Amino acid sequence: MGISRDSRHKRRLTGGRMPIHKKKRAFEKGRQAAMTKLISGEKRVRRIRVRGGNFKFRALRLSEGNFSWGSQGVAKKAKIVEVVYHPSNNELVRTKTLTRGVIVQVDATPFKLWYAKKYNVELGPKKKDKKDAPAEQTQKSKSLQKKLEQRVKDNQFSNQRLLVRITSRPGQSGRADGYILEGKELEFYVKKIESKKK
Amino acid sequence: MADVQSQRAFQKQEGIFQNSKKLLAKKTSKGVRYWKEVGLGFKVPKEAIEGHYIDKKCPFTGNVSVRGAILKGIVISTKMTRTIIIRRDYLHYVAKYNRYEKRHRNVPVHISPAFGPVKEGDIVVCGQCRPLSKTVRFNVLKVIPNEIIGNVRKQFVLF
Repeated sequence: MGISRDSRHKRRLTGGRMPIHKKKRAFEKGRQAAMTKLISGEKRVRRIRVRGGNFKFRALRLSEGNFSWGSQGVAKKAKIVEVVYHPSNNELVRTKTLTRGVIVQVDATPFKLWYAKKYNVELGPKKKDKKDAPAEQTQKSKSLQKKLEQRVKDNQFSNQRLLVRITSRPGQSGRADGYILEGKELEFYVKKIESKKK
Repeated sequence: MADVQSQRAFQKQEGIFQNSKKLLAKKTSKGVRYWKEVGLGFKVPKEAIEGHYIDKKCPFTGNVSVRGAILKGIVISTKMTRTIIIRRDYLHYVAKYNRYEKRHRNVPVHISPAFGPVKEGDIVVCGQCRPLSKTVRFNVLKVIPNEIIGNVRKQFVLF
């Protein structure tokens, strides 16, 4: 393929050239980048035998991942909907490429269901026709109510999408896993996405 | 504080979870900051503990350990971001003439934002760490301010 990861082709700190006195070696070889694409419903992962007899799982097409909700301490499998921001290269956003560090939109339903089961609270847009709901609610102390309010401060659940940052390396492990953005990080990326849209 | 996030990706310390329920609930939280001692008697600068900069190559707040050699040198260039060039002078013995000759080496060294602005001529103590870049293998641990008369590059200071 020709991709080699040696340092012999580079110059020295002083600027002088390094004499090339040996050929490229097999232990220095590199492979083509995976460029994992987001294609809904498809999963294409190839197993590659690497140095030492070990395997790397090169994901070529992915649509799902395991995402963790840090502040709640749960992780759920969810579908990736759209690639929204990449800090290194805008081209990767346009071509819907999944790499480590990319910000994607993820379907929120598994998390909503989990939250509803655990806290008996429906996350998301308020529905107007629930007349029997107030009667069912048990008496809650003020401090408990405050705690419940503060549990989900970010209103990401109003749309059906959550913003997630991918932390696995799809071209190495074959998975696209990540964590749901919260707090300052969420504000930061939302601002970046908004400014890009303009 | 705003200029901490001047990159396209969100800058944060790698192992610190900033979004625990307790922290999210606090309105103006100071945030959790990770810092560590480097050992060998070197003091952690106050700016490392109280500051807001993010530097993964900082020996106090980042992911590098200092081990191996400890060098001392004089700063000759501070033009790079977060890294400086120091000059180490030494004497080389020539056996035939029973005499010494002056030699020097320039070493690029990573400097954490924890140390304030460093000028040319300051003396710097640096510790060896793993390769941080193509040429940088050392990290500044202590800065000793110093005044130099004349051109820094023409001085011979033996430590």
